[in-house]
Amino acid sequence: VKYRRAVATVVIVIVAAALQTTMFATLRPFDAAPALVMLVVIAFARHLPPEGALLLGFGAGLLQDLLAESPLGLWAVVFTTVAFVVVRFRDRMEDDFSLLGPFVFGLTVGGLTLFSVLGTIFGEKTLADVGLIKKIALPALYNMILAAIILPFATWVLGATRRRSSPFQL
Amino acid sequence: MWRPSNIDRTTGVFIALLVLGLALVTVDLRASGAGLGGTLRDGTQAVFAPVERGVAAITRPVGDLFGNLSNMFSLGADNERLRQQVADLQRQLQETESLKVRVSELEALLGIDPPGNLDSISAQVLAVGVSEFDQVRVIDKGSSDGVGVDMPVVDESGLVGRVVAVTDTVARVRLITDPTMHIAVRIERTGETGVLTGRGSGPMVLELFNTDASVIQGDLLVTADGRFPAGIAVARVREAARAEVGFSLRTTANPVGGLTRIDFVKVLVFTRDEATVTGLEDQSGLPSTVPTDNGTQSEGDSDQPPSTTTSTTLGGSAP
Repeated sequence: VKYRRAVATVVIVIVAAALQTTMFATLRPFDAAPALVMLVVIAFARHLPPEGALLLGFGAGLLQDLLAESPLGLWAVVFTTVAFVVVRFRDRMEDDFSLLGPFVFGLTVGGLTLFSVLGTIFGEKTLADVGLIKKIALPALYNMILAAIILPFATWVLGATRRRSSPFQL
Repeated sequence: MWRPSNIDRTTGVFIALLVLGLALVTVDLRASGAGLGGTLRDGTQAVFAPVERGVAAITRPVGDLFGNLSNMFSLGADNERLRQQVADLQRQLQETESLKVRVSELEALLGIDPPGNLDSISAQVLAVGVSEFDQVRVIDKGSSDGVGVDMPVVDESGLVGRVVAVTDTVARVRLITDPTMHIAVRIERTGETGVLTGRGSGPMVLELFNTDASVIQGDLLVTADGRFPAGIAVARVREAARAEVGFSLRTTANPVGGLTRIDFVKVLVFTRDEATVTGLEDQSGLPSTVPTDNGTQSEGDSDQPPSTTTSTTLGGSAP
């Protein structure tokens, strides 16, 4: 079962990356698309064991790096950080979308901002982009909307439910 | 007191992965995108292309449906705008016909081949960048079709980008709006040269070296860069330029290519070696007017603006 879940997770990450580069090339409301791979990392990191969630973030980031023009490892660092934040905060939330929606929005904004800053440090000039705010805010908004579908989907695929064991447990 | 044992296992793994990620970034940057990183990228792109083709075939109707819905709202305004354009183009066509004859005579006189004589390879955009920050497109033609690194890519309006990576079946094109792109351009109306720089999205920045140059709204900028055939339309000036502390003229320009909606493109079979004016470098005392690097370095490798060619341009016509 563990092996099957791991394979399913990998396949879904690959499909998410393919959707990101194909379907969302034409489906771009206000000339922006969701950060689907990041959303999949957030959704699956809620249920996987902590180390598995971090490896998922790193692997998905590495795949995105290999498909992008950015230096190899940049998205891996960002997605690993995103997965780490999810692992640290997931016990504070149940499957309540009023909490999860803003959480996904904030995490996407944080992840894309981190990429922009790191990208600029490593010579990608991402902060020089005139449409930077739009490129961060709109994908985060779309991720928040899509979270209503992707988060329950991940829960279903992994056959998991999330219940916090303690309200203040980190 | 802090001890390493205070770090739990999860945090330890997190830190280890961060260090590994940053090490990979450093190694990849040192290799300038070549080496192991480049090989892995090419391999992934080759393996991933069939997946993208499959997913694109399945999801294209969905994307088209939403695209058509959004287009319906702007059809009326588009219709009116297109009527205006047809009228303008008919007038321009008449002017162009007479200019064409004159240009041909001058080209024959100077022995210069216009870009229209270049072979081209038609391709369809297969995929876009995997994030909003990627100013790249993946096209469905690769080295087996004759596409090579550094070849210029155009659409029906003008320059779109440049091929930066190729596998057997697909190629990756970096758009001209990428912040690492610097293109030497010439104002078609006056012949003044400058450098056009991408800013990720939206208008590009134009810098001219002659602070007294006349730059007005609507001026067409064409390539004057050894990496591209001279005379391909690149962008139109948005507003008149203003001098910045006396060093350069600076303004913005909109790309003429439809970068956000490109579907079909043409790859021009052109490498920068063809831009070398035969024998010019051999003559001592004459400066080389064509970039002399080996052709494999990408714009991202250097912030230095490219040098310009001195070859005659074909007035703004995209091939």
